[in-house]
Amino acid sequence: MLEDLVVGMVGSGGDGVVSAGESLLAAASSQGFYALMTKSFGSQIRGGESSCRVRISTRKVPNPGGVLDVAVALNWEDFRRFGAELPLGPDTVLIHEAKAGPPPGDLAPPGRAPRQVLAVPLAEIAKTAAGTDRAKTTVVLGALSGWFGVPPEALDRGLMKKFSQKGEGLLEANRKALAAGIAHAAAHPLASPRALVHPAKPSPKLLCDGNEMCASAALFSGCEFFGGYPITPSTEVMQILSRELPKYGGVVLQAEDEISGVGAAVGASFAGKKSMTATSGPGMSLKTEVLGLATIAELPLVLLNVQRGGPSTGLPTKPEQADLFQAAFSAHGDVLRPVLAPTSVEDTFRLTVEAFNLAERYQTPVVILSDQEIAQRKETVDQIDVSRFEVLERLRPTPEQLAQGYQRFADSPSGVSPLSHPGMKGGNYLAAGIEHDVKGAPTASGAVHAAMNAKRFRKLEPLQTRTDLFERQGAPDAPLALVSWGSSAGVAREAFVRARALGLPVKLLVPYLLYPVAEPVYREFFTSVRRGLVLELSHQGQLYRVLRMFVDVPAGMTSFARSGAQPFRVDEVLERLQQQAEALR
Amino acid sequence: MNTFLGPNDYKSPLKPIWCPGCGDYGVLQALYRALSAIGRPPHEIAFISGIGCSSRIPGYTTAYGFNTVHGRALPIAQGVKLASPELLVVVAGGDGDGFSIGGGHVPHAIRRNVDLTYLVMDNQVYGLTKGQLSPTSPRGLKTVTSPMGSLEQPINPLLTVLAYGAGFVAQATPADMPGMTALIEEALRYPGFSFVNIQSPCVTFGEEEQQLRAHKARMKPLASLGHDPANQLAALDLARAYGTELYTGVFYRNPEPPPTYDALVRLRQAELQRGEPRPRARVLEAYLRS
Repeated sequence: MLEDLVVGMVGSGGDGVVSAGESLLAAASSQGFYALMTKSFGSQIRGGESSCRVRISTRKVPNPGGVLDVAVALNWEDFRRFGAELPLGPDTVLIHEAKAGPPPGDLAPPGRAPRQVLAVPLAEIAKTAAGTDRAKTTVVLGALSGWFGVPPEALDRGLMKKFSQKGEGLLEANRKALAAGIAHAAAHPLASPRALVHPAKPSPKLLCDGNEMCASAALFSGCEFFGGYPITPSTEVMQILSRELPKYGGVVLQAEDEISGVGAAVGASFAGKKSMTATSGPGMSLKTEVLGLATIAELPLVLLNVQRGGPSTGLPTKPEQADLFQAAFSAHGDVLRPVLAPTSVEDTFRLTVEAFNLAERYQTPVVILSDQEIAQRKETVDQIDVSRFEVLERLRPTPEQLAQGYQRFADSPSGVSPLSHPGMKGGNYLAAGIEHDVKGAPTASGAVHAAMNAKRFRKLEPLQTRTDLFERQGAPDAPLALVSWGSSAGVAREAFVRARALGLPVKLLVPYLLYPVAEPVYREFFTSVRRGLVLELSHQGQLYRVLRMFVDVPAGMTSFARSGAQPFRVDEVLERLQQQAEALR
Repeated sequence: MNTFLGPNDYKSPLKPIWCPGCGDYGVLQALYRALSAIGRPPHEIAFISGIGCSSRIPGYTTAYGFNTVHGRALPIAQGVKLASPELLVVVAGGDGDGFSIGGGHVPHAIRRNVDLTYLVMDNQVYGLTKGQLSPTSPRGLKTVTSPMGSLEQPINPLLTVLAYGAGFVAQATPADMPGMTALIEEALRYPGFSFVNIQSPCVTFGEEEQQLRAHKARMKPLASLGHDPANQLAALDLARAYGTELYTGVFYRNPEPPPTYDALVRLRQAELQRGEPRPRARVLEAYLRS
């Protein structure tokens, strides 16, 4: 019996494989499984190749899974386009549309070809059972149910939900197609049966993607203003807030460009409101100047960057982790701008709340560095007890301070000074991108500039000891280390568990706070480390390089990094860890 | 409590960095008087600018000021106004700030009709960077970046702003202080996006015919021509003379100002809030599956 099943499906746009994946996800989650689904497309708006990957498990799903347990191909041409995104292995059960013919000989690398290949006349079964070959993905669902134990009642309920609005005929046709798929599986049993174990006790869960989680956390945090410009793969955040924020008295401005979007958000923050913008790499490039303004004017702002492949337009629909340098360093002048990175749909909530809190507490822009995989993958999440999250507000001047010559940029031990806003009597001041003295008056004095830079940096010193923004697992004295961030951290977690099960002396570090580099945390972590990997999806290995800038990284720590759209697989990370462990001897 | 606020109540202790004789001094004085006439206390005014000589102006007032980045005053001001519609929001900048680097924002601020007053101090030259070509520099102008004379046709701020659909469009010059003060006041009172192009001479880099003395001789009040500010077509026609004639006064004032964007946003919020939204602490329930 299986506790974990990874299914990948590929078809042409219009085949409905993504829709079938959604049905599978909904069915699994309604039965109490943990489940996760990623979608991947070409960048065409309609048509073109599309794929989805669904992972179903009795335990929390840390990542979309590496090698597929089950691959479904409606045609070979589209299947090939996804290459390393949907890797096959000898144990993969490969199901394909019979009329596409047998799999091409070079479909998988040498030694990786699936041993079990099932040709199913999907279109023909659909036509016979439902009267239309368009129901072929419903046949696929039936077959998956029959072969792998996905509960048919849950799939049927899903069909009800999906088709009941669209007419009795369509619903009936799809039910017949589902039954035909189940019957086909029963008539053609697998060489070695593989069925999912059912979860012990189903409990209600959340089902959403990272962008939905981020938007929810923004609402929870009291966000009052969003300014942005549509850009894949972050647009859903603006779409959700456009619908939801006005209900809470907030405002969403779809601006004329990326610069205007962040500008309006900074304006709203100046006016005293919690503000946010969201974008992806190209938009981040454009917003950079205004971010610098928010830094020097000391205005709170949350910026979500859902990373995609770059540079320039790059790979708009695929994940990459190559915007860390940009998030941390894209500024002229001395700028320290916190960068937080979620690693899953679930922790996107916590880190978005944290981003708002850091922005308000330290009066600074904060970047949330998500990526396309986390942002657009849908997954089951245990219910989040939001009562454990504190929501912070900016420090505002007291009536006494307002009455006695208020100084907007007054220096203080913490570096944080009370922030007034228009409408507040006695708080009048000049906010500016130009360097200014404690009252906000423009200055060209080097001494004042140095003092203000010191103040702006001092504010963020407490981040150096925020150990709660790091996940550490394993024995503290382990000599082998695995470090990873963002969506790759999900793969690292699973590799870590498996490496420990194999007896490797390994420990794991997942930073949620990427920048400023919390030097004490790394120094302590690296004390025992002689070998290890920094795992991330970028050609340069950007976290590895940032760490080497700030910390004495042990010479045996190496970068395991590659370009985006080729997510890591647990088995290959495990293999690298084993090599590193051998080198310890 | 309505205490009288005189022009000096809007004057900050900061001393302007402008050259002696700069037209912007006149604009500042007119603004103090117009704000005093309106009487909103300084803390209820947000004064947003970009970068350039004229963009220093918010610091010389006692209002809340935000001297932002080059060309982005309008987006930032819209954020301020949408976030806090009760504020009086004034935007100021130069011709380069508004019609070159920030030119892409102008049509959108206008089509949204956010209730802002946009004062452009148009001197047809880049002053802060010491005398380069600006988007309103006349063709043939010799500057340090057009040493053989400019080959470019200047943008016509009045015509473009009218064409974008602004509800209030005027032109002023510090050569006529009472006229300019009245126009700024009227712009501030107009409910919607209002624009005043102020021909503000650059004494250091400007041409002879752009100086106050020349303005006094050249300026033609639109009122004296019998122009009806409600006539948009006539306004467009008159605006075509930008660069040759110095018309002052109101080119266009929409006699029936449409609702402002900020007001419409408030209306929609009020509508939606009647639906009693889920408390913020329970937003995740939208994704709960059982």
